[in-house]
Amino acid sequence: MPFREINSKMVEATVLPGQRLFSQRGAMLAYKGEVSFTPNLQGGQGGIMSMIGRRVANEATPLMSVEGSGTVLFGHGGHHVQVINLTGDTLYVEADRLLAFEGTLQQGTMFMGSQGGVMGMVRGQVTGQGLFTTTLKGHGSVAVMAHGGVFEIPVTPQHAVHVDPQAYVAHHGDVRNKLSTALGWRDMVGRGSGEGFQLELSGNGTVYVQASEEKL
Amino acid sequence: MYGAPGGPTIHDPMTLPVDDNVNKYTFCVELKGSQWFLQKGKMIAYYGSMEFNGIGHGRLDRLVRTSFHSPLHASEWVVAEGSGKMLLADRAFDVNSFDLEDGNLTIRSGNLLAFQPSLALKQSIVPGFLTLIGTGKFVAASNGPVVFMEPPIRVDPQALVGWADCPSPCHHYDHSYLTGVMGGLRAMTGLGGASGEEHQFEFVGAGTVLLQSSETLMAEQASGVLPSGPGVPGGGGAHTGPSQQAGAPRLPGQLGDLQRRFGL
Amino acid sequence: MFRLEGSKTLAVDLTGDAVKAKNGSMVAYEGQMAFKKMTGGGEGLRGMVTRRLTGESMAVMQVTGQGTCYFADRASEINLVSLHGDKLYVEASNLLCTDAGLRTGTTFTGLRGGATGNGLFTTTVEGTGQAAIMSDGTAVVLRVSAQYPLFVDPGAYIAHQGSLQQHFQSGVNFRTLIGEGSGESFQIRFEGEGLVYVQPSERNTIGGNV
Repeated sequence: MPFREINSKMVEATVLPGQRLFSQRGAMLAYKGEVSFTPNLQGGQGGIMSMIGRRVANEATPLMSVEGSGTVLFGHGGHHVQVINLTGDTLYVEADRLLAFEGTLQQGTMFMGSQGGVMGMVRGQVTGQGLFTTTLKGHGSVAVMAHGGVFEIPVTPQHAVHVDPQAYVAHHGDVRNKLSTALGWRDMVGRGSGEGFQLELSGNGTVYVQASEEKL
Repeated sequence: MYGAPGGPTIHDPMTLPVDDNVNKYTFCVELKGSQWFLQKGKMIAYYGSMEFNGIGHGRLDRLVRTSFHSPLHASEWVVAEGSGKMLLADRAFDVNSFDLEDGNLTIRSGNLLAFQPSLALKQSIVPGFLTLIGTGKFVAASNGPVVFMEPPIRVDPQALVGWADCPSPCHHYDHSYLTGVMGGLRAMTGLGGASGEEHQFEFVGAGTVLLQSSETLMAEQASGVLPSGPGVPGGGGAHTGPSQQAGAPRLPGQLGDLQRRFGL
Repeated sequence: MFRLEGSKTLAVDLTGDAVKAKNGSMVAYEGQMAFKKMTGGGEGLRGMVTRRLTGESMAVMQVTGQGTCYFADRASEINLVSLHGDKLYVEASNLLCTDAGLRTGTTFTGLRGGATGNGLFTTTVEGTGQAAIMSDGTAVVLRVSAQYPLFVDPGAYIAHQGSLQQHFQSGVNFRTLIGEGSGESFQIRFEGEGLVYVQPSERNTIGGNV
């Protein structure tokens, strides 16, 4: 069942017997009916290997599974929440921006470094964002949080989009990402303009960018 | 003359709304020689002549006696009196006004921004909350728009803004994931951690519950802690950790007994 | 040229020209852009002293290129101000972006916050063009005229334009001194003709630090 946006900061999900939802721990604001919240040992789906992958990446998103019969309101810290509905494609999203998602989606982690080589790893060190991004694939709804809400920028083969890594929230579609610099080395060392590193996204899809450079 | 055409609306004392929202985050109150209670520091601008005085002193005594019965919170409130139009706001929170008609509403002290002296303010049994009784207008601030729901409902303590015309909530503890073999293992080893949803306020009956999507609260002061005395529930100073009773479900702080016992 | 993408993101379409923006405020862009840090605060010794006192939040960068650049800062709400040869005074930390055709400078406004330690420096923006200012929550624009002077809480003040005089009022009495003040002890009184922008929150702006 898709999530319903009650207002910009809260989503409502209907939980039915036999259907599972996953959400960030502590994200439940209120519920009606009989619903149980179980901390997920694996930190999500994908089996043990996936869990280990997450632990290694230190991206262990503390998740809980939500089951039962009733309605649950999700939200977190007053952050803006956006619902993205997937119809078979893959969403790449920063682990800490994930509020809740339906159990019908397949969860995995992707090592961003592989797409950027050495620069990918450097990106992780510099921005502290980690090297891993969570992937969600299949049919279902995802609720994503961001500081101040997100706006979408379409990515097309002719128009590559450059995003500040700290403002990047998620993307979906057939999009490749690469770390690039817009400055010479002199500006990077010491006090540069603060725009030293950028994430370059090319291909076909959409990027979700938040109106802030703060981590949640 | 100044003013960007097509730009934001420019307000002046004539066009500012009377006792209504200017935008989502700003509220305008008109005083005509009258008074309003407001939280300290929440006035952002005003036209006219106004005075702001802390509560509990001198000639405001009578007002305090009739409208403000919360000595523990007195230091956070001031009285605005004078004539003119005053803008109120709080940390860019959504502000909304509500009218109470011979009703009662309990709201978290940090979420109540201002109210008319025709309402009486008292301290709620639930620590950190204030109860407004009577007829009059009040302004509440919340992180995100307030959502109204009806009981039966269980609410995360940090998401609760208040409740109206309904019985006080009770506490609900959810440790169902700690039952069974896996549950026992979790409780002993602390593996898997806590779900973060162990405790909610449960509302049953008629009335309305007010929610917000937040965990950003004004620093809760020690106000709301009742003086200790015989028969006073919850009295006795700051909380001490929950005591461990045989057979009671373990609260999150207690997970990992085994680790502690073996000094791991 | 300047347009809003939602209320918290500024989109600027550049065709080879430049804009000045708050350091680090670019969140995304399409096309080709170059970012260069500028030294803000002014020239020479005074400039150096200004920079030292105001800290990093006054750091400005110049953005040039072809395409669209998106700016945002901590999810603050953005307001566009069009200037036609007049002057805008804005709290340094509340200025997001200015057209290349506008001249920016700093003025020392003196002690405006007393005990609350509000900003000593205000940025001036002069000329013809567009500027984007930010606020914590949607800003309210208030008109000041001869019959209606305006009183503003210093932490809520963001910017003003027009011919206004500012007087710093203090409502300190003995109760404030003994810690039982009203919380509204310091106010700025604006008189004259013009507009004042206020935000629905009270961020401290100690020399630019928020």
